[in-house]
Amino acid sequence: MLQHALIISSRREYAQSMRQVLLTLGNAQTWIDIELDPLRAMQVAGQQYQLIMIDALLDGMDGLQLLLLIKQHAPATKYIVVSDMADEITRAMAYQNGADFFLERPTTPEAFALALEGMKRLFKSNRVEQAPREEGPATVVSISDIVQMRCLSGDSVLLMVRSQFQSGDIFIFRGEVFHAQYPGKSGEAAFRDMLGWDGGHVRIKVVKLTHIPPRTIEVPYRQLLQPVETKEVEKTETRPVDGGLFVIPEEAPSATSSLSVVKEAPPREDDAPVFFPDPRKLSGGETPLPRVNSHWMVNLSGDLLEGSQVSEPDRCAFITTFIYRKMADVAVALEVDYFDHMTLLGPHLQQVLVADNMGVRHAVFDTAWTTEERRVQYVKWCREQSF
Amino acid sequence: MNKAFEKIALIEGMIAAALVSEEGKLLGWCANSVISPDNLCFIAENCRAVLSANRAEQRPAETGVVAFGNRTLVFREGPAGVFIAYLDSPTNDAVLAWLFDQVNPLLEAEGM
Repeated sequence: MLQHALIISSRREYAQSMRQVLLTLGNAQTWIDIELDPLRAMQVAGQQYQLIMIDALLDGMDGLQLLLLIKQHAPATKYIVVSDMADEITRAMAYQNGADFFLERPTTPEAFALALEGMKRLFKSNRVEQAPREEGPATVVSISDIVQMRCLSGDSVLLMVRSQFQSGDIFIFRGEVFHAQYPGKSGEAAFRDMLGWDGGHVRIKVVKLTHIPPRTIEVPYRQLLQPVETKEVEKTETRPVDGGLFVIPEEAPSATSSLSVVKEAPPREDDAPVFFPDPRKLSGGETPLPRVNSHWMVNLSGDLLEGSQVSEPDRCAFITTFIYRKMADVAVALEVDYFDHMTLLGPHLQQVLVADNMGVRHAVFDTAWTTEERRVQYVKWCREQSF
Repeated sequence: MNKAFEKIALIEGMIAAALVSEEGKLLGWCANSVISPDNLCFIAENCRAVLSANRAEQRPAETGVVAFGNRTLVFREGPAGVFIAYLDSPTNDAVLAWLFDQVNPLLEAEGM
């Protein structure tokens, strides 16, 4: 079953047609991205796509060369090359560069149907190859990560959770945990128990919800996940030694947490903002950075590259990437290029996101002291920085 | 509701607008271009997901403004659902105020 695919094409309308075709290979949760820009495509292709469909000829780039580059970063992905020229040389080059399937661009309904059959066969063989792996340890996932991701996405899904000794269900409706159950227990208590099964790493099958589940859990999902995180920290980081407590980090910090970050807080007039890397190393312009609560930058793979006053780097990178992907889908629906900048206006905070071909900058302002001029200044400042 | 959107369609620079309920139902829409109602629903759902994700991150926002070149997508979440407007111009705070000064009474007149 096709779950997540990417179409790289310079032809927007054609890409959208192919998206519809690919969606028939999946189910309700199938997610098809479209990239019109080869540079952006290179950035995002490292994500875990099951299938990448790529035009042999792209604007400003040879699709077959791009395939060669992407294949190095994502060798497990299946690749379909679509070409207007079905000559043997193009076909041979496509396979030589790593294509799994070569497709002459279908232009009639009959040709589309034939192409679809070919792709189905590709996935049938792929499914057979993958079947044994699904039973292996690779499918074990962090339950709290899955719940968080589904809630953040506003999904309505049933998570069928299986640990070594038990199994249960978690119902998420429109981004909130509504109900959880396993034999002998239900509600919040069941959910908390399940978070602890097998150390929080279990097998999960996701099924789309078709009805509103009964609500036995009223607590917001973040609150539900919070105590477990705290418990884990306590369990792993403090140990009694000679009657005292010592903090012993068991795990090496992640790449992003090693950055010199401080807690998110309103900036002080007298302090220069903490910034990494050194601002002097940035190829800045004439516009000064306006006063912000915090700001950061991610590349199109979702990696946090730099930031200031960022309290939770991973979460910041995630939310920026999430917004970017959602607005990328909107751009495709509107048949326009990706957004230049975006403003989110809230009662307490305002946010500005500025995007270009290489990444997204994201700033948070305090509504009380933010003016439109400052937001415009931030956009201008971003444009003068080199991504 | 359609009467409100007939008038919203006449607002200067308006390419398309829609109001989509929490259940994903299209309560009203207008489009001065080929944007389909399905696409408007899809766009509104994405906007709702963005607002929902920000709420979860303790950065609640009710209005979003997205610049796509010289065009702008404006979205706002209200009690009736997510209202989206796609405009053929850049916007600033004054334009936003001007837009909602016209839209809000029209929606309110229809009980939204």
